[in-house]
Amino acid sequence: MARHGRTGPGAEVNTALNDNLVAGAASAAKPAVSTKDHIESALATVFGLIFVGLACLVTVETISRKVFNVSLQGADELGGYALAVGSTIAFSLALMGRNHIRVDVFHELLPKKVQSFMNWFAIVSLAAFSVFISVVAFKVIADTLQYRSTAQTPWATPLIWPQGVWYAGLVIFALVACGYALRATGLLLTGRTDVLNRDFHPKSAKEELKEELDDLAQRQAVEQGAKP
Amino acid sequence: MNVGMISLAFVAMLAMMLVGMPIATSMAVIGIVGGIAAYGTPFLDSIAPVVWGVQNENLLTSIPLFVLLGELLLRSGIADRMYVALSAWLGRMPGGLLHTNIGSCALFAATSGSSVATAATIGTVALPSLQKRGYPMRASLGSLAAGGTLGILIPPSVNMIVYGSLTNNSIGKLFIAGIIPGLLLTGCFMLWIYISNVASGNPIREPAVPMAERIRTLSYLIAPLVVFGIVMGSLYFGIATATESAALGVMAALFFVWQSGKFTWEVMRTCFISTARVSGMILLIITAAFILNLAISLTGVAEAMTKWVAGLGLSATGLILALIVFYLILGMFMDVLSMQVATIPITYPIATALGVDPIWFGIFIVLMCELGLITPPVGMNLFVVHGIRPDKGGIEDAIWGALPYAIIMILFTLLLMAVPALVTWLPAHM
Amino acid sequence: QDRIKMKAIGQPLATGLIQKNKEQPFFENFAAKTGLPIDVDYKPIDTLGVKDTEQLRVMKAGLFDIVSLRVSQNSRDEPTILGLDLVGASPDYATGKKVAKAYFDTIDARLQQQFQVKLLGVWPFGPQILFCKKPITKLADVKGMKVRVYDQNLAKFIELVGGTPVPVSFADTHQSLSLGVVDCAITGPSSANSAGWPEVTTHQLPIGFQMALNGYAMTLKAWNSLKPDQQAKLKAAFEAQTEEIWKYSEELFQDALNCNAGKDPCTTGKKYKLVNVPVTPADLDLVRSAVSKVSLPAWAEVCDKSNASCSQKWHATVAPVLGLK
Ligand code: NA
Ligand code: NA
Repeated sequence: MARHGRTGPGAEVNTALNDNLVAGAASAAKPAVSTKDHIESALATVFGLIFVGLACLVTVETISRKVFNVSLQGADELGGYALAVGSTIAFSLALMGRNHIRVDVFHELLPKKVQSFMNWFAIVSLAAFSVFISVVAFKVIADTLQYRSTAQTPWATPLIWPQGVWYAGLVIFALVACGYALRATGLLLTGRTDVLNRDFHPKSAKEELKEELDDLAQRQAVEQGAKP
Repeated sequence: MNVGMISLAFVAMLAMMLVGMPIATSMAVIGIVGGIAAYGTPFLDSIAPVVWGVQNENLLTSIPLFVLLGELLLRSGIADRMYVALSAWLGRMPGGLLHTNIGSCALFAATSGSSVATAATIGTVALPSLQKRGYPMRASLGSLAAGGTLGILIPPSVNMIVYGSLTNNSIGKLFIAGIIPGLLLTGCFMLWIYISNVASGNPIREPAVPMAERIRTLSYLIAPLVVFGIVMGSLYFGIATATESAALGVMAALFFVWQSGKFTWEVMRTCFISTARVSGMILLIITAAFILNLAISLTGVAEAMTKWVAGLGLSATGLILALIVFYLILGMFMDVLSMQVATIPITYPIATALGVDPIWFGIFIVLMCELGLITPPVGMNLFVVHGIRPDKGGIEDAIWGALPYAIIMILFTLLLMAVPALVTWLPAHM
Repeated sequence: QDRIKMKAIGQPLATGLIQKNKEQPFFENFAAKTGLPIDVDYKPIDTLGVKDTEQLRVMKAGLFDIVSLRVSQNSRDEPTILGLDLVGASPDYATGKKVAKAYFDTIDARLQQQFQVKLLGVWPFGPQILFCKKPITKLADVKGMKVRVYDQNLAKFIELVGGTPVPVSFADTHQSLSLGVVDCAITGPSSANSAGWPEVTTHQLPIGFQMALNGYAMTLKAWNSLKPDQQAKLKAAFEAQTEEIWKYSEELFQDALNCNAGKDPCTTGKKYKLVNVPVTPADLDLVRSAVSKVSLPAWAEVCDKSNASCSQKWHATVAPVLGLK
């Protein structure tokens, strides 16, 4: 059987069960909150606030344009910047949640040794890609500084502001990816392939569905608690 | 650039994907290697402006917003209650809760941009009660897997946004174009359930629910219908662009979350993390797709393929028939989003050169993606419903259960070929 | 003799007849048109997945040799070039041509210095004019109306006249007009015709807010690889090409106005029944006033930041042509 990373919302919940409300009656013990959870939580908060804030602003803009004939120009420009920054954060979070899709029609059929090599190679290739993008994107920043580029928009935003933050996001993605790649390399070199396969194999549908069912149980528990 | 080399590159990319390289990396590697082979290092310097261009595209901002919208309705339990309401209304028909499955999927699809989410959401709610009431497992799994695919045909749809941004077509028009086919396909699925149940001689039905109770459950449908009305209404009446309509939908969803008493930090953070992971996965693939697209257009791959196909003397109809076979086979092995971004840069110019309507072709691609979701061995919706089933059984139950729906989808595609106005009429009247 | 291969970035396919009938044939028959052994691989920019705002950067990267430069979009990276097409400066073809000629060398020098590309010609899509779904007799009537604009200086000018500027993408404008999201919209008459705007409007006022100028440019690397006699031939060919586009653009403009108003000859579009509002001297004065009141001060501020002598050069070259002090 073949499995992918998740391709849609709804199926994916915070893997950090410890942070869930109370996962129904299923989970009693709370594992310790790790550094990774803190980083994830912080990044997700920034990400969420960017898009909720954007949604508020765009809604106000759209309504004021329709109802009051007044256009607060620039909401669409801000939308572009929100995506630029938000997507780089999302790259990192998808990496931490092992969501970057891998097909594994053949993966499960391979010998464990080969599997662990493939898992190592997959994370290293992703890290290489992230570093590659950061390196080429530096040229965008350098050019923008050199030309003092200014957006052709009502705000005439100096492009270096949004691009600077975007670039920082790309660098964070590259650092996170390299961290994972180093860890995988260490595991491979020291022969701890079982740990490597556990932490870096393509996310299985089973894992994801367990998360999803836990979330459902929790929703229903809360529902019944609310209406006894 | 000749067809042989192009096929070789395409096969190499597929091979990298199939041995388990991340999809985004596989596409980027072929794009970068191809671009450098043709143009040397100046190609590298041209990648960065493309990457910024994709990530700064306000149109694509609608992707995280639509994902967030679906998450909010799911995590707040609004989607769960929807199923309760629809089972009260549709359960009496021959086929019982199977109709509820399709109806709930269609309704959830109207608020969610993803098919997998739709199948997972409705499946988790539905399967325990289906099993308790003794519904045949194959029919149950099939209806959920197939119903879930409506998620990308009934707008909003992440796959339509991706198609629109790769081909410069209006997202609004694509969304509007999806409504009639979405409703019709929903109808076809229900008709099949009805016919197959009546034909079996012993149709399943649910006991009648008192009218008062039914009326009461209607309130459960308010939230999804209002959100859908706001998103599609603002698009249809030209009040908002796709991104703006997504923002309006998110605000409406936030209101319903608050109203249902779920507006807590935990729920919000769960939504944020989920949205970020899913969007990050999609957007990295799109970024890689644009790098590949740059190499494809620079090296003249699309022209070479167009010329080759033209040399075969295919008509538009012949091409679409050939593409059905092509996507049916590809969809068996590939994730559908990856399949879409990897093939559109080549198939779109060929199709439009032969006079196929761009909006119609978008709906066609989405249908092919739907098909890919329920064809083995790689069919995400099959895995999802199989994973949720409460009893122990093989994946073949989901596969056989979904088979009639796959055939319906192919027949439905032929119907859209015969009557293209089913797709093009509504967007032409925007 | 060895053939030379060059790669060119063209206008987007969607931009219409000039791209289709003049630009693409010119590059596809480059050897015949120039008398040089050069074959051009011509790619419209919207088939590349590169945004048009990135043209200058991509040119500097050296992946392409020739570019059909979109002036307004690329003023992001080089504001100096926008001095060609300030809102209100060129309400008609004659003025537009004078401005382009007067300012040519300034831009050429700047592009060579900043991006190592050489300017070979400047040509217009044509006047961007006003379409309304409410009766108007003069430009000042847009007071109190919602007007679709495509750029910030235009927005400021509409505000100056008392209208509400609404930025709407070209693709969404037809719908916005039909639903009353906007009352008026600005674009070229030919684009308006092919997008069906006359179906949802009643009046057209053929006064040019902007000329929608564009340029042809070549990397210095490619230019310097040619011998002096080849350079001369190339330059002459681009001059003939841009001259031809100026003429063609004006013919198209007149033809499209005719089509929109339901008059003959109408060969390039569909016939509609718009009221053609005659342009009065007062309208011309109003549009011209945009230069000193809106577009010049706003542009000078941005431009001088990236290029210290920017507005001073403009005053020395273009201002006299427009009769400005
Ligand atoms: Na949907
Ligand atoms: Na499949």
